[in-house]
Amino acid sequence: MLRVEKVYKSFGGILALFGVSFEVEANTITGLIGPNGSGKSTLFNIISGFYSKDRGEIYFQGKKLRNIEPYKIALMGVGRTFQISEAPEKMTVLENLLLAPKNQTGESVLNVFLHPLRIKNESKQHLEKAYEILHLVQLYDLMNEYAGNLSGGQKKLLSLARILMSDPLLLLLDEPTAGVNPTLIKDLIVAIKNLRDEKGVTILVVEHNMKVISEICDRVIVLDFGKKLAEGTPEEIKRNEKVLEAYLSGSTKREFFHENT
Amino acid sequence: MTFTQVVINSIVRASELALLSLGLTIVYDILRFANFAHTEFAVVGVYVALFLNLTLGLPIVPAAVIASIATGLFSIAVDRAIFKKMRSTSGIIVMVTSLGLAIALRNTIRAIYGATAQNYSVPLQKPIMTEFFRITPLQIWIIATGAAAMVLFHLLLHHTKLGKAMRAASDDPDLAQASGIATEKIITYVWFIAITFASLGGILIGMETYILPYMGFAIIVPVFCATIMGGIGNPYGAMLGALVLGFAENFGLYINFGKILSLGGLLGQNKGLFIPTGYKPAISFVILIVVLLIRPRGILGKKKEG
Amino acid sequence: MGLINFLVYLAIMMGIYGILSLSLNLQYGFTGLANFGQVAFFCLGAYASTILVLVFHMPFIVGLFGGMAVAALFGFVIAIPTADLKEDYWAIVTLAAAEIVRIFFLNEDWVAGPDPYIGGAFGIGGIPQPLRSLFSPHTYPFFYLALVLVCLFATYIIINTLTASPFGRVIKSIREGDNLPQALGKDVKRFRLKVMALGGGFGGVAGCLWAHFHGFVSPEQFMPLETFIVWAMVIVGGKANNKGAIFGAVVIVIFYNCTRFLKDYIPIEEVTLASLRMVAIGILIVVAMLFMKEGLVKEKRIKESIVLKKACSE
Repeated sequence: MLRVEKVYKSFGGILALFGVSFEVEANTITGLIGPNGSGKSTLFNIISGFYSKDRGEIYFQGKKLRNIEPYKIALMGVGRTFQISEAPEKMTVLENLLLAPKNQTGESVLNVFLHPLRIKNESKQHLEKAYEILHLVQLYDLMNEYAGNLSGGQKKLLSLARILMSDPLLLLLDEPTAGVNPTLIKDLIVAIKNLRDEKGVTILVVEHNMKVISEICDRVIVLDFGKKLAEGTPEEIKRNEKVLEAYLSGSTKREFFHENT
Repeated sequence: MTFTQVVINSIVRASELALLSLGLTIVYDILRFANFAHTEFAVVGVYVALFLNLTLGLPIVPAAVIASIATGLFSIAVDRAIFKKMRSTSGIIVMVTSLGLAIALRNTIRAIYGATAQNYSVPLQKPIMTEFFRITPLQIWIIATGAAAMVLFHLLLHHTKLGKAMRAASDDPDLAQASGIATEKIITYVWFIAITFASLGGILIGMETYILPYMGFAIIVPVFCATIMGGIGNPYGAMLGALVLGFAENFGLYINFGKILSLGGLLGQNKGLFIPTGYKPAISFVILIVVLLIRPRGILGKKKEG
Repeated sequence: MGLINFLVYLAIMMGIYGILSLSLNLQYGFTGLANFGQVAFFCLGAYASTILVLVFHMPFIVGLFGGMAVAALFGFVIAIPTADLKEDYWAIVTLAAAEIVRIFFLNEDWVAGPDPYIGGAFGIGGIPQPLRSLFSPHTYPFFYLALVLVCLFATYIIINTLTASPFGRVIKSIREGDNLPQALGKDVKRFRLKVMALGGGFGGVAGCLWAHFHGFVSPEQFMPLETFIVWAMVIVGGKANNKGAIFGAVVIVIFYNCTRFLKDYIPIEEVTLASLRMVAIGILIVVAMLFMKEGLVKEKRIKESIVLKKACSE
């Protein structure tokens, strides 16, 4: 579904990505891990079209993603969340969700006046869906709250909820569980796996929480200083010495080893 | 009008604009907003100098210097009263605020002095005439002042502690604040330098042409254009931008496009086609659009990531 | 009689400026487009309508739609190269563009026809008032007021419907940054272009109404201060609130016109008074930005109840 080939990216002389290549198969959940500054966010930004790459190619469903504007890539089916929540502060949670579905009839000026009934029907459908998703991320009670008033963790959930509304084919999740309370994380894990199993969504997830990675990922890719360090199943990665050395330290190491607790 | 004359006029204009665009760019950079009241501050300086010169009878040079410094200090007061409260507000809101300030300043001057043109009381100028051009001592002064100010600024930026702090604050404001470089202090100096220079530029324009309450508005587009062309935050860019614009405006009116078009066979011989003088503001506008389309960072601008 | 006429005049001004205010609010309040050249739409609408009616002898209605179309086209065209610029660059570009429009009409007197004393700095006079012959001189102003109110109402309905629709949602999201709408598949540039065309169109309508009411247009009527007055209306009235925009127009028009009478009570010159009025406007903008960013009428929070009503009501 997604193929990244020898991508290079530098920022004013500092190399952020150095020949990164990997493939993400359809209907899988792939984890992308690595210490801070290893290039994970940069990679996301490049895949979703927000940054340009210096060298290399990216293919989504066989189509080359080169110099395409981010909105077009989104319309192709690539959905993403942002690490620092990009929630329009002056719109309510509900409005945020209703914003998400693609190609809404009501987004065209003429249609607003020529096809009001069609728009009404679409609205009803979107509302139903929004309610479902809001229940899932437990933001239902906050639906009329301005996004700007939410806590960090809630904003994360909003980000996730919003992108779910748009039915993406490939979902790029940027630290979905950061700042979220542990009981909710369990529900999120179920929901994410559900997306793969029942909705056929392919997921690439950046995470620092190793427990989550171990639980949901089919494969894991490890980046370090902009290079792909290792690739494999969560178990393989856990045993990979290079990974352990370069990446894990202190508490994260403990988590990895004691992940059953 | 000879070619050399146009060159001289261009350099004079460039000197005036540079004093203004330099100030705009440093405020834009350190305070992170487009100050639409920048040229109005300059006009405040112009009128303070007018007051000192005409009403109090001071000769023009001390009047100009005192007025510029006074206006520089005035801008610090305005910053404290208004912009300090908006340090973390979004740029667009501060920009609109500066617009309101501009309206207030401009019209206060107009309320006091009325809408008629005025002139400084300057000793009579005897132009130097040669075969190719004519230049007045005033124009020489303008070029000299402009150049001196640029050199002074350069020395300030690279050979003083303040300059070093300004460069640091410009490159990375968060880091600068964290490493103990007192940003508020820098802001004070930035306003002072910017507005003192701007006032001086305005006074020179006033000396060369005439003084009107709305003269600030008349130059706002060229000044912004020069600043943006040079790249925001780049004082040398601002100088370069002023130079380019000074030449563009003067040559733009001088060039006979008819001749060019007739060479290409598009127009009959001897048909003159000039940009009408009324459209002088259009020249900077067109240049601005072109620059923004091709290189929004400006010619020497800073790299923005992504 | 004098008082009634004055009140009708005030109401007409409130209507015309109300349309301008709604238009600017759509651009700035809802979409975040800081248009410092709003007067350009006003000017183009006025001149286009005048030329169509006076020089080409078209009926008023053609002038109205013509003015609207020219202004909308200008908005669209100016936005094509500039829509993605940062808001501060955009502000200076629109400011400059409006000045160029004014200078154009100042210099190009040929647009008004062959008479060398018409057009350019002289302005264009003798603009016919629509349906004038049907009314007596004292009922005509009421008719014109009705005409203006109809236009204001139509503008309000159109803009309000749009801002409450999915289109409105998208532009509100654009207001706070391009990244999110892009990530959700919205062609941000296209939306901006549409907003500018709409804003322009409505500005043009206001211009046409102005021209036909005054019977005379000249470049002096379209100075940048007009833009700033409209900004004061949007800021004071309430950003992103359509009723607020109209309210702002009402407040500022009252302020602007009633201070004219001070001249009769205080020995003050016309120029000074006009300048002081503008000083007050400037201070108002500064104060509003410092203490009352939302304006007097806050932006409506779109609660679920509102969404439900729109989705399920008849």
